[in-house]
Amino acid sequence: MKTEAKLWVRLKVTDLVAQTAWMTLTEKMGFAGDLCGVLRYSYWAMEAEGESAGAVCEAIDREIRMDSAFTNQNKHFYSLAVSGGGDEAASGDLRIDGDFPRGECGGRIFACDLFVSEQGGGRDDGYASRLNARLAGAKVTGMKSGEVWRILVRAEDAEEAARKVEEMAVTRSRQHGLLLNPHYQAFEFIGTAEIDGQ
Amino acid sequence: MARSFKDKVAIIQFPGVNCEYETVDAVRSVGLGADLLRWNEDPALLEDALGVIVPGGFSYQDRIRAGVVSAKDHIMDKLSELAVAGRPILGICNGAQVLVESGFIPGIHWERVDLALAPNVMEDREGYYCSWTYLLSGGTDCVWASAIENEEVVPVPIAHAEGRFTTDDGKVLEEMKKNGQIILRYCTEAGQIDASFPTNPNGSLENMAGVCNSEGNVLAMMPHPERASWLRQVPEDLGGGWGMKRRKSGGDSGKMEAAGPGRIFFESLRRWKEGGE
Repeated sequence: MKTEAKLWVRLKVTDLVAQTAWMTLTEKMGFAGDLCGVLRYSYWAMEAEGESAGAVCEAIDREIRMDSAFTNQNKHFYSLAVSGGGDEAASGDLRIDGDFPRGECGGRIFACDLFVSEQGGGRDDGYASRLNARLAGAKVTGMKSGEVWRILVRAEDAEEAARKVEEMAVTRSRQHGLLLNPHYQAFEFIGTAEIDGQ
Repeated sequence: MARSFKDKVAIIQFPGVNCEYETVDAVRSVGLGADLLRWNEDPALLEDALGVIVPGGFSYQDRIRAGVVSAKDHIMDKLSELAVAGRPILGICNGAQVLVESGFIPGIHWERVDLALAPNVMEDREGYYCSWTYLLSGGTDCVWASAIENEEVVPVPIAHAEGRFTTDDGKVLEEMKKNGQIILRYCTEAGQIDASFPTNPNGSLENMAGVCNSEGNVLAMMPHPERASWLRQVPEDLGGGWGMKRRKSGGDSGKMEAAGPGRIFFESLRRWKEGGE
């Protein structure tokens, strides 16, 4: 059976890279009025074959827990979700749908998940081979890896939120964009949701 | 007495850089004045500076992407102003990453980011790579390379994980070539351009190792000339004339204090100054 697996990993301690992004965007780039929070995840989106979503989830979970290229349980929270054939399975200690930074932020708030990867696939093949060398009961057939920046912004609607996040993220000039350089990195929005003001 | 950079080269000390003191020494070795300026000091101090160098290291711990956080710092407003006015500015390694992320290099569309210094692409390895490389000079007149003969081969070491010059804008690349802005290219000891590893140690487009703006006053280079400014810094097993000179000088501490191949970049600035700027 063909399944899709998504693995999100983030640090248990304060992420200084996300903190630096927050400070740079708010204090040096003028986004203090729009930005409500920044989280950063390592992210893998996989296509995998196995008997069922549950079997694939169990197989991948067993390997990523033991391989620090994916997770180190002393340092990371993670969420693994597998779906396919009308079936779903999940594991990990991170509830990705409810993972938002705490803080005061009035108005309508949107959480935008921006997936940033290296053009040409970067280390995707390496990750797939690494898993396939050890997986029992599943086979990874497709892999996309990179980082997801979860950006919380004040906006009137989802469209405006995405526009603001793109302006914050994509480095077009010294004044504009921080999180990725489009000359070697690609980006896509993999989720935008309005959340309750906190 | 108030601090002054008049006729001196200012070396910008962003948090996390680690080559600033060697860079000061290398500039002083050619008889020019040099001092450190912390990134959060008054940028107006740079007004009278002879030139500015953004040194190597890991500014802001390379967080997000090497050089990008420094590129957003207030002091870069002043560097932009000075660069446009023709003041010499050199970025070495992390400093080159700062200049690229600031849009000073290639600078065809000023402050527009037209290039990246992307993660190295190497055969059978990834990440940080440290080695001596050979650089072939060429291209347009650049203040920082004016003492180097055209097509001269200069050995200088590299040490980086993100040094692959690249762009996804073919027009920019064409323009850079047309303007002669690619002034340093990785080459073999004999001066041949070979795109394969280890001659091209990071997969850089067109073997680019150093790119100057079209006006010739701003240079971003990944190799470290300050680590090759004395003969004692040259490894004994280096090929070519510099390696031979180093081997012949072994055991003679006086000879070992002679200039190394990287000093030519700082010597270029001195000649530029003496030539009436």
